[in-house]
Amino acid sequence: MNISVVIPAFNEEERVGPVLKELGSTGLPVIVVDDGSTDRTNEVLSKLKVESEKLIVLRHRVNLGKGAAMKTGAEAAFGLGADAVIFMDSDGQHKPQDLPKFIEALNSQKYDVVFGSRNLSFGVPLVRYLGNKFASVLVALLFGKYVSDLLCGYRAVTKRAYKKIDWESTGYAVETEMAIKTAKYRLKHCEVQVQTVYLDNVKGVTVIDAFNILIDVVRWRILL
Amino acid sequence: MILGLQIIGIFFAFVMIYFSLLHYRKGEINKLEEISWVVIWALTIFVVIFPELLRTFAQKFFITRLFDLMVVGGLVLVIAMVARAYVSTKRMEKKLEDLVRREALKKLKVKK
Repeated sequence: MNISVVIPAFNEEERVGPVLKELGSTGLPVIVVDDGSTDRTNEVLSKLKVESEKLIVLRHRVNLGKGAAMKTGAEAAFGLGADAVIFMDSDGQHKPQDLPKFIEALNSQKYDVVFGSRNLSFGVPLVRYLGNKFASVLVALLFGKYVSDLLCGYRAVTKRAYKKIDWESTGYAVETEMAIKTAKYRLKHCEVQVQTVYLDNVKGVTVIDAFNILIDVVRWRILL
Repeated sequence: MILGLQIIGIFFAFVMIYFSLLHYRKGEINKLEEISWVVIWALTIFVVIFPELLRTFAQKFFITRLFDLMVVGGLVLVIAMVARAYVSTKRMEKKLEDLVRREALKKLKVKK
């Protein structure tokens, strides 16, 4: 199975380099989508691209959001012949050491979607832990599928699953939408344990994002 | 006699007429839109000065006070305009997203 790694990146000039260098040893094709960064991310990526043949860098002229960047990356990967993609964050929260677990699950051909799951009871701020669990329980109640780490961006989808899911979210709601549509379309899925890394001052889901996701969840319950 | 509330209403309508003219001068709206907005606000001024014109209309909807009719009418109008603006924004967002993503993928020879 041809597998590519897709990384959406926004203003990650310091962290994206080490992440890509670590990924270099895996030998997997990597597609990074610079989502309209205003710092030196694009410059850093351009330098790394010269050094690595397996690295493809795409750029959104304006910031569209994580979901849109993931979509651009996935379309590029599938268009170039990939059978599945693994999504990772560009800030170093996801470790390449966990990639074999996703690859193994995908190569078994038993699953269309593989969700990464962090051990949330260890090293995760309480507010984020509670928010994450609330989202998981809410989705389980409304859609009948419990995903233990709903907001973890470390996950994989096959081409078939991607076409079915075809997410519309451009922002942080993408992970929730993927899980909901996985349940809705009864796609075969599993969870793999991944390392929990929480960095200081890390960007991520804000209270406003969480509120918007909540509205989206209700909307999907009505529309899907 | 014109009440304080009416004065505020008339003042507001004149300000909105000024904005309509300003937006037309900046080329942000076309002539038809400018005329439409000026007519709408001119009618608003007329109704604010002569509210009794709406009395029959209000009675048909079992609304006793003219002020209530205006509040209800205004609310309906605002909701309709917000809904229209929401749809329009969504459409623009989608177009922008498509454009930016297509441009990002342009250099890559991907199979659809």
